Amino acid sequence: MKLKFRRGWIAAALLLAQGGAAEAHIVAARLGDFYMGALHPFTDLQDVILWTATGVLAGSLGASRGRWLILVFPLGLLVGLPLGRIFGAASAGLADAAMMLAIGLMLAAATRIPTSALCAISFGLAVMRGAANGADLGPDTDRVLFAAGLACVGYTIITLTMALTVVFRGTESDGSAPWRTIAVRALGGWIAAIGLMMASIVLAS
Amino acid sequence: MTAMRYLRLALVVLATLMQPSMLGAHEASLGVLEFREVRPGAFIGRWTMEPSIGAGRIDLRVPPHCFLRLPEMNCGQKGLVGSITITNLGANMSAVLIKVIPIAGEPRSYTISTANPVVSVLGTGAPTLEAWIELAKTYVNYGIDHILLGADHLLFVLGLIWIVGGGWRLVKTITAFTIGHSASLAAAAFGLIGVPERPLNACIALSIAFVGVEIVKQQRGTMGITARYPWAVAFTFGLVHGIGFASALAGLGLERSLLPAALLFFNIGVEIGQLAFVLLVLALIWAHRRLDAVVPRWGEALPAYAIGSVSMFWFFGRLVRVFAAI
Repeated sequence: MKLKFRRGWIAAALLLAQGGAAEAHIVAARLGDFYMGALHPFTDLQDVILWTATGVLAGSLGASRGRWLILVFPLGLLVGLPLGRIFGAASAGLADAAMMLAIGLMLAAATRIPTSALCAISFGLAVMRGAANGADLGPDTDRVLFAAGLACVGYTIITLTMALTVVFRGTESDGSAPWRTIAVRALGGWIAAIGLMMASIVLAS
Repeated sequence: MTAMRYLRLALVVLATLMQPSMLGAHEASLGVLEFREVRPGAFIGRWTMEPSIGAGRIDLRVPPHCFLRLPEMNCGQKGLVGSITITNLGANMSAVLIKVIPIAGEPRSYTISTANPVVSVLGTGAPTLEAWIELAKTYVNYGIDHILLGADHLLFVLGLIWIVGGGWRLVKTITAFTIGHSASLAAAAFGLIGVPERPLNACIALSIAFVGVEIVKQQRGTMGITARYPWAVAFTFGLVHGIGFASALAGLGLERSLLPAALLFFNIGVEIGQLAFVLLVLALIWAHRRLDAVVPRWGEALPAYAIGSVSMFWFFGRLVRVFAAI
């Protein structure tokens, strides 16, 4: 049984480490480059996990700290997109894994980081993932529309994830069940574990 | 009007004139190819509506037993039965209607679109369940695509949400918009009313500008007509937008017997797309409230001006196209 679990974990980690984004380009044929930009991150599990983790981290720190990310995160994606075109994907597997590990550990440890640090981490992550999303675009892709779609989906995911986390956690004054805090910390542990596995695979390969 | 206002107006007109090519993005790019059976299994094909990218650039694939070299297509004894597809549909070419006119029996129409790139030709006879399913799949997808690619329609809906807020008032307003555009879509599709596409598109842009002005009025504490009777405004402009939706169907030249069903499925697709958009906007409004992330007082008018500017940009661009066509 343990062996089965271990195989499953390795398969999942390999999937994360080597997930391609090529499938997203089918979208362009149907709905154009705006929607291709909006759906591109969903084809890469690294984006899905890192964006969600960032939203949960910001939400767990409270609305007053987290809300800055509504602007900072899409801005980072927009900055990263042209960098990806110039320098290629800045986001190597190891960098993604390190980010996952760091954010996961912060969540697991319920670290109360200041707003400026949260914004800096989120901006850095968004630049990195923006570059990764922009690196493999075809020459016929309308980059302005793609960037608009990417920024819109970044804004949407971060805003909704933060709000859901804020609602889920509740406030200390309303006597929310302590299990909710534990659940968020446990989720952080899982994210950190995924990051650790990814890093191991990248280093081993 | 101050000099500054004249300057702004001049800039908008200048920007519009410089970039008219961007403004046709929402106009459907369609083609109609007709195959007329001249003897059993042998067809003569011709483009009755040539696609804007040129007929020669369409990569049409017919069933393997058919030999195609336009204008001739020979399918032998088996006849024209099987899958037809176009491999290079995309942003420049959204749909092609294939009309098959057999020697005996009713003509059939099949729409190949980016949403439904492969169609099955089922031979002659009464429509089968498969034919209905294919029709539904094609037109629901086409409706979803049309609303999602129609930034003007979505911007109008966004303006309505902005003015009305949430709750039952929004439900009534969106329902009125739906009834309005469904009624005019049906009327236009059945040929009861007809409005030229280009002036209509200019009117659609103006309807969004109207909503932008209404938002500003509301923010200044004046109750505009939209704030007082949102359902009436939504219904009225819904009629205009519905004719716009119909223009997407009109070019397909569907046969009359299939039109009611195609219309229903297309409308269902439009509603699915619209509902998804409304729910997304409401979810984001909810999230902003939970995060206490509201627009600062100095920036409250920005969204209204953004909506107004974009719509006027579209309006002038579309007006240029109206005059260019004369």
